[in-house]
Amino acid sequence: MEQKVIVMAKREARTVPVALPEAFSDLTCFIGTWALPTETQRNTQRHTVGMEAIVEFKDAMLPKVDEVVAWLNQYELASLPEEAKTLMYLLLSFAEIAPAVEFYQQPAVIDGYDPRRFVADETFTMRPAI
Amino acid sequence: MNETPAPEGTLTARYAHLGSGLIPVEPYISAEYYEREKAHIFKKTWLQVGRVEEIPAAGDYFVKKLDACDTEIIVVRNKQGQIRAMHNVCSHRLNQIAYDRTGHTRKFFCKFHGWAYDLDGNLTGVPDEKCFFGIDFKDYALTRVACDVWQGFIFVNMDPEPKMSLDDFMKPMYGDIEGYPFDKMTVGFAWETVVDCNWKLALDAFQEAYHVAYVHGNSIADAIDRSEGGSMPPLDALCGDLHRRLSLAGNQKSVYGNPKAVTSGGAAASEALSDAGSKRPIAASALRAGIGSARHAFPLDALPKGVNWTQSPNWLFDINVVFPDFYLSLRPNYCQAYNFRPIAHNRTLLEARVYYPEMTTPGGRFFLEYMKVALRDVLLEDLSTLERTQRAAETGVKKFMVLQDNELLVRHSYHVIERLLAEAEAEVNTAVSKAEAVTE
Repeated sequence: MEQKVIVMAKREARTVPVALPEAFSDLTCFIGTWALPTETQRNTQRHTVGMEAIVEFKDAMLPKVDEVVAWLNQYELASLPEEAKTLMYLLLSFAEIAPAVEFYQQPAVIDGYDPRRFVADETFTMRPAI
Repeated sequence: MNETPAPEGTLTARYAHLGSGLIPVEPYISAEYYEREKAHIFKKTWLQVGRVEEIPAAGDYFVKKLDACDTEIIVVRNKQGQIRAMHNVCSHRLNQIAYDRTGHTRKFFCKFHGWAYDLDGNLTGVPDEKCFFGIDFKDYALTRVACDVWQGFIFVNMDPEPKMSLDDFMKPMYGDIEGYPFDKMTVGFAWETVVDCNWKLALDAFQEAYHVAYVHGNSIADAIDRSEGGSMPPLDALCGDLHRRLSLAGNQKSVYGNPKAVTSGGAAASEALSDAGSKRPIAASALRAGIGSARHAFPLDALPKGVNWTQSPNWLFDINVVFPDFYLSLRPNYCQAYNFRPIAHNRTLLEARVYYPEMTTPGGRFFLEYMKVALRDVLLEDLSTLERTQRAAETGVKKFMVLQDNELLVRHSYHVIERLLAEAEAEVNTAVSKAEAVTE
């Protein structure tokens, strides 16, 4: 009998992220955890790593954030080169953890609705390119 | 319990026809009541289904499931650039024509037997046509649904002959917000969830600000302008025949409560940053990153007069509830659009969308992400009470709810639905008695 082969849809390929610019090399240790391209991935990570890791990331990013923004701003958002995307994703994760740090002092919304049930539509036609 | 009349000067007294009494719980827990709402409201009125920017090119379409109308519709842009809506049902043996939620196509082909329809729903091709018995293509188009656009929002109406045009539906309450810069808010984010609660119970949680101090005590309560007593009274409320509005003031010394700061810069930005710099350093960094990045300017004095209609200098946003299930909140430079689509009497699909101006720089994108994530988490707070409230309501322990003055919109919502159900059912009864008179 012919065996039925089910081809699973490919998971989003996690290409090896391009290294950070020299000035931000001390953020390299956060790439594996926080350089994530989608809101869903960033939010899942926030609820996975624990508050200690969130605070560690915040402590590393906060003193540098204006510099990071200034460096990224040499490019138009629409034409961000690969070497800038890794840093951009870290910056977006920094926004993702902001409520954990500045609202709740814990990863999750206090008494909140389950974030896994509040699903971001990552294919929405009007979403920005990054 | 006796009804205590609302004192002069209150919002509730201004709308005396709504009374000041208790609101029954029955409409939130009754399957029978929901069937009446489906028949007389959801299948008879204009429902918002999306924005024109979602289907910019001819052949772009999306499919929307509308359980309260027992149907699924295709919304598509035709070759002339007009937006059309039709039921997703083949005229041959009824298979759904579109399988994907969104797409782009030249024609719709039914995957059952290959019947083909153009972007207006006209039947254009039938395989083995000669085996049918003289079918006339014009009799077998897809069934069209009334569809019109207001300020870029696409509305559909299941009534083949809508009682009023979309313009007549919107104008009385929302004519003076036309011209709001929706077309400059071209970046959107969307979320979806199915909540086990009645659709009105979900909507009610969004049509008053009394809950903000409590439900949002950890997050954005400091973004709302507080009065002496610490409460957060609205600037004003408006109730119409169907729709209702609430205007709210923000704390200018917060990033979330002073949204104009990012596009106005200058003094507004300094004020927003004055407290946030120390209390919310990440928020402050996001605002600094975003200033000057928006593709468009959003001068406050260019807003139509119906937006921030009390002309408050501390204005934060207006809540606009477009009857029956569409919540549209307008801010100086972004807006939120939520639909509370009923699935059953105790089940609701919430589609939440937020539209921002395009940001040209990476720093601006960081600001949007900050604002979006804060909004999403605030929504998780809003949603946190709904299923618990539904379970509590279904115990039957309480037959009524009591409302304060600033919950006027909840009161108005109840009264509008009651009135429309009564009117529609009276009409049906009249028609039945007339029919009986004829047969006798």
